[in-house]
Formats: sequence, structure tokens, C-alpha cells
Amino acid sequence: MLARLIPVSLALALLQVSLRFKDDGDLARRLKARDGGAMRELYDRYGRLVYSLILRMVRNSAAAEDLVQETFLRVWNRIQAFDQERGALGPWVVTVARNRAIDYLRSADGKMSAAALELDQLEHPGRFCDFEDRALSLDRARRIKAAFEKLTPHQKTVVELAYYEGLSQTEMAERMQQPLGTVKTWVRSALKALREQLTEAAAV
Amino acid sequence: MTCEDLRDSYELYALGVLEGEEKREVEAHLARNCAACEKYLKDALGVNALMLSQAQEVVPPSRLRRRVLSSVGQQRAGWEWVAALAAACSLIVALWLGVEKRITDRELANARATLQQTVGERDRLEQAVTFLNQPETRQVNFGQGQPAPPRGNFFLNPRMGVLLIASNLPALPAGKTYEMWVIPKGGAPQPAGLFQSGPQGTAMHILTGAVDSNVTLAVTVEPESGSPAPTSNVLFAAGF
Ligand SMILES: [Zn+2]
Repeated sequence: MLARLIPVSLALALLQVSLRFKDDGDLARRLKARDGGAMRELYDRYGRLVYSLILRMVRNSAAAEDLVQETFLRVWNRIQAFDQERGALGPWVVTVARNRAIDYLRSADGKMSAAALELDQLEHPGRFCDFEDRALSLDRARRIKAAFEKLTPHQKTVVELAYYEGLSQTEMAERMQQPLGTVKTWVRSALKALREQLTEAAAV
Repeated sequence: MTCEDLRDSYELYALGVLEGEEKREVEAHLARNCAACEKYLKDALGVNALMLSQAQEVVPPSRLRRRVLSSVGQQRAGWEWVAALAAACSLIVALWLGVEKRITDRELANARATLQQTVGERDRLEQAVTFLNQPETRQVNFGQGQPAPPRGNFFLNPRMGVLLIASNLPALPAGKTYEMWVIPKGGAPQPAGLFQSGPQGTAMHILTGAVDSNVTLAVTVEPESGSPAPTSNVLFAAGF
């Protein structure tokens, strides 16, 4: 079946993602110690992912490069608050990257300040602790991808607007010219579907 | 609202896009360390990170890597270039000499050693770059205006220590080494580390640790194991 045929290249891409998240505890420890070469390793592990995500969000390669630099600088400057024993480096780095792009999109839009401060708290390294083992494993990545593919077009749109454009549900309703209640239903059902794929995976 | 009512709000909350009553409720539950909600938030952070890892891969330009690394002082491409160039030059000189008087294995071995040393120096070069990047680092040069003197710079950072970069150093007699001294105002010279020079009479020496900001720095030639106080004339010195 098609679903069985496609995943070869997909699986390879996802495998790379999951490999990136290996041994992050040791890398975090070396980053904290300002070990020569630790930043290089961090970049080699996450640079491509961070750049791909940011470019997808801001759609401008010069701005994307600035924001990638900002992302790594921020990780470098805040790594001391990261717990290398219990923390999940990958999820944190990805979140920091997404938030830099959101800050950029919002400031280009004339919005900002209070929201930027809020993102700042939400991405505090202390929050990225005690994740279940293999938070970004190949299996979980594959499951969430499959779950996303199964969403309706409207559900996909609202998910993308939240993740990649940082829109609130009110803003989504405006953008899509749909009633707020309808948008909320799409959002709720979409996120539930994504989440349940993962909890089912854990239960199996 | 109950924790269960908020179950579907945590992804949005973690993305910073939740608003209104739901956001206030989430914040209230988290503020009172509601265990169920903390678990939901953790799950949501995991879902979000997974979703954000799905962007189609694009290869970033290689200049971006250099830029990121140099912004935190871990880029050594610039230094590598200089060092690799120096190594290449010494090899070219060796080859050119070879035309004149036949290249010796020893000269080739030296060139190779220079290259290997260059690689071994990476960490120290990185340390030096970090040092130079600090705003409070001050610099004094020495050797200007003398006929055939050692030349170079002392960099002093009261918090981090001293970095010395020197060239044109005289070849050391067998069994000798260079020793750096920190001389406080009105005090006796304090030993500040031993170092050797490279094949072209160049040297880099780093003293780590806090240093007074108004000291004099000096270098002398000492017996291989170093001396507690200078035993020869000052080779060069500079005051801050
Ligand atoms: Zn609760």
C-alpha cells in the first residue's frame, strides 16, 4: 500500500531527526563547561533543523540566517539554566528557534513586546525537563507525521497557523473568515488527534 | 475549569497563542502546581517539539555555520586559515630550498610537524579568540622601533588573565624555556607560566585567572623547569 511505500525516504529523514537527539546530555554538559567544539557539535546536530524550521516560517533566507544565529546565541547564553541530567536539549532548541521566528513575524507585523516577554518565559530551559525517554524518537516522529497527514485541510491550516505563524484562535478566525467557535473546534480536534497518536504509541 | 477541560489548551499555551479565559485558567492551575496540568504541559511541549521538527529539510549555507560559531568565539576558521597558511608557507619554503640544496627529510618532517601542531593548537586558539572578544580586554604592544626585536602584544583581561602573542623570538638554547612574569606595582615578579616558541619564532601563551589591571608583564629566558624569580635579563616587557 502507498502508506508502506512512501516511508523509505521519510523514515531516513526521521531517523536523522532521532539520531540528532542522542547523547544530548553529554553535549549540554560540555556546552555549560564552554568546552571547545561543543557549539560546533550543537550546530552540526541542530543547525539544519533550526534553519529549515525558521526558513519555513519567515520565508526569507537573509532573515532566517539572522534568526538562526540568534537562536544559537540564546541557547549558548542560557545553557547554564539547562539541566543536563533531566533536560531535553532538542525540544528546547527547536522551541527557541520557533519563538525567534515568531518574534520576527510579530515585529514585522507591528505587534510585539508583551508577547515576546511571554515567549521568553515559555521557553525557559527549566521547563524542558523530565520528558519521557526518547521524546523525539523516530517512532514518535513517524506517528505524529502520520496523524497530521490524516487531518482535514481546515485542521491542518489551523495547526500550521498556530505553530508556524503564532496566531491565536481569534486571529485564525479573522484570517480564515470563519466563526471563532468553528475554529476552536478544528483546533481542539486536531491537537487531540496529534496527541492521541503519541499516547497510544506509549500505551502499546 | 477542571484540569480535564484544559486538556486541549496546553499545546496552544506552550506556543504562546492561548488567550482569554482559557489562558487565565491554565495559568491558575500551573501557579498552584497542579500535578495533572504540569503533566499536560510537559506532554504539550513534547508534541510541539515533534511538530516543529517536521519542517522539510533545507541545507543552510556554509557561511552560516562560520557565523554562528564565531559569534560565540568557537569559530576557528579564521585562525585555522592563518595557521594553515603559515604551515603551507613553510612547506613552500622547504620545497624552494629543496631546489637550491635538495630538500631534506628533516625539513619535510618539520613542515608536517607544524601542521600537526596547528591542529593541536585549536583549543588554545579558541580560548584566545574568546579572550580577545571580551570588551574589557586591553592590549599593549612591545618591540616597536627596535632593530631585530621580539614583537607582539600582551592582552590583559582583569577577570580572565593574560594572553601573549609574540613573534621574532630568538631561538632558545638547549635546556632553556621562556617564562612570563606578572610584576605588580612596587612588587616582585610573580611567575606566570612557561612557554616555547614555534618553528618561526612565534609563540602564544595564556595565563588564566584574575590579574590586577595595572601590572607590568615581562618575559625572560629561564632553565627548562622554570624559575621562581627571573635569572636573566628581560627579553621584552610592557606595562598596563
Ligand atoms: Zn490542573
